Amino acid sequence: MSTDAIVAEGLAYWYGDLLAVDHISLTVGEGEILGFLGPNGAGKSTTVKMLTGQIKPKAGRAMVLGMDVARNIEKVQGEIGVCFEQPNLYEQMSGEENLKLFARLFGLRDFNPDTLLRRVGLGGRGDDRVDGYSKGMKQRLMVARSIVNRPRVLFLDEPTAGLDPTSAEAIRGIILEERARGASVLLTTHDMMEVDKLSDRVAFINQGRIVALDTPHNLKQQYGKRAIKAKVANQDGGLEDREIILDSRETPDAVRDLFATERVVTIHSEEATLEDIFIKFTGRGLD
Amino acid sequence: MNRRVVAALVAKDIRLFFRNRLFGLVTVLGLVVYVGVYFGMPGSVDEDLEIGMYAPVVPPAFEEMQPDGVKLETVESEEALLLAITDGEYPAGMVLPADIMQKFDAGLKPEIDVYLWADSPAEVGEAVEFLVTELSYAQTGQPLSVQVLQEVLGPDMLDRQIPARDRMVPFFAVLILVAETFGMASLISEEVQRGTVTALLVTPVSVPGLFVGKGITGVCLAFVQVALYAVIIGGMESQPAIVLLTLLLGAVLVTGVGFFVAALGKDLMSVMAWGVVAMVVLSIPPVSVMFPGAVSGWAKVIPSYYLVDTLHQVAIFGAGWADVWRNLLILVAFDLGIALVGVATLWRKCR
Repeated sequence: MSTDAIVAEGLAYWYGDLLAVDHISLTVGEGEILGFLGPNGAGKSTTVKMLTGQIKPKAGRAMVLGMDVARNIEKVQGEIGVCFEQPNLYEQMSGEENLKLFARLFGLRDFNPDTLLRRVGLGGRGDDRVDGYSKGMKQRLMVARSIVNRPRVLFLDEPTAGLDPTSAEAIRGIILEERARGASVLLTTHDMMEVDKLSDRVAFINQGRIVALDTPHNLKQQYGKRAIKAKVANQDGGLEDREIILDSRETPDAVRDLFATERVVTIHSEEATLEDIFIKFTGRGLD
Repeated sequence: MNRRVVAALVAKDIRLFFRNRLFGLVTVLGLVVYVGVYFGMPGSVDEDLEIGMYAPVVPPAFEEMQPDGVKLETVESEEALLLAITDGEYPAGMVLPADIMQKFDAGLKPEIDVYLWADSPAEVGEAVEFLVTELSYAQTGQPLSVQVLQEVLGPDMLDRQIPARDRMVPFFAVLILVAETFGMASLISEEVQRGTVTALLVTPVSVPGLFVGKGITGVCLAFVQVALYAVIIGGMESQPAIVLLTLLLGAVLVTGVGFFVAALGKDLMSVMAWGVVAMVVLSIPPVSVMFPGAVSGWAKVIPSYYLVDTLHQVAIFGAGWADVWRNLLILVAFDLGIALVGVATLWRKCR
């Protein structure tokens, strides 16, 4: 029996002549965080829409918790939580009322919004109308709303975008708590550092296709370039950069020569970042 | 703030307004509708009383004399005359007997039938009777040379004129209902605009469930208000079941229109703009009740006509199910059609 919480099998979607998602396949295991990365227009949102039942795939199959999303949409949506990038809260209602509304939609009885509000750092602000919240508070309320039903699968779209470091860290903490509880998380983001910190695995999507899918460590190992970067003093008293690629046969000799022939001012090792790897795959950055 | 700054701001806003295609379209469409309504209304103050006349033989005096303020129009048969009066083309009509000239010549009093529509003011009946007497006098040179028999078509209202405020009842009812179109439409539009509808649709809320919820809200808001209005003004005294059903169908109608307006509008302003267009169109039929003869028969293509006509029939003439079932059936058909179009367009927008 499969333990995958999310399974995409050859998912495809097109808007008119534009192929937005090109037969992609991926899985997210139970209790796993999958970072879903791609530039704007790469097909991330369309993929998430198919997986959350907002649109039906034109080809392929989206499975969540072993259920075909298109056929069991209400059951699936009762088990998932979705946090959108743009705040879409009822601004004329209070934070507490927003959560209570969604708790009612999920059929939760005896729901106590205070616990959840405290958890996202909004304790004591639940009675305030949302239109008086700051962006960070709204985003935290969005995250709280997405976990009202203690979902088994969480879809988070840029949950920390544009937030101050404290708010962002609070939300990252909640994501990790949800994983610890056993929830599977599909984390869509532009933030490579965040993905590196949180994700068990990373999927790169570009032009509707998954171009790489592995753990951050494996991706760096497999596709990254490790190097030593040094600054050396030249004869005029200025500084020049030197780079020695690691993991090659010539590396030991190059390091020896560097210290033997140059006056080394600073030296440090440099690891490949996910962004470097993404650029390698796609030929462009995320923005 | 100086005038230059204000002028620049105004110019900027006007430019932005017309760069919004929707606003442009609504502006033009609104203009077309208002102009259409303007030309649909009578172009001059018509002080002539138009009287239908069926006469196999027309006495010369009846043909030659056209008293000031009265216009005699000949129709082809007595049946056609009755139909025209029933349809509201003439407030009254007369039928001259085929042997009218022989009787005049023999010094006998021919009988002239005068038909009046039920809600014609009493003055119309008196005026027509006076006209017939005068024309006969002109023809024979003898006073009291004719016998006039009055017959009222539909319920006799000659002794009970309709007060102006009673004529306003359907108009206000439609206004109350239409006001809910705005409310419903802006509620939905805001939901779509803010994306809260997307948040709802990733929970166990289904699209049909969402529409049903909105529909019930819209119908309840509109129905409760207009039913309260009917109760307060005493509109439930005659045929309360028919009145309630009619108002309920009206509430469904404006909710459907509200869905449609919400689908067309992108923000509150455009919803208001489309809502005004809907309000103007739906308010045309009540005008025909307030000002009989002001609106032509084409008003029957407007759904609210059947709402207004039913309320008017019940409130003024005490009409029963047998009199209004056709109206109600047509209203149901309009409700279904408009709700279907409203839901389909909104569904498309939500997707």
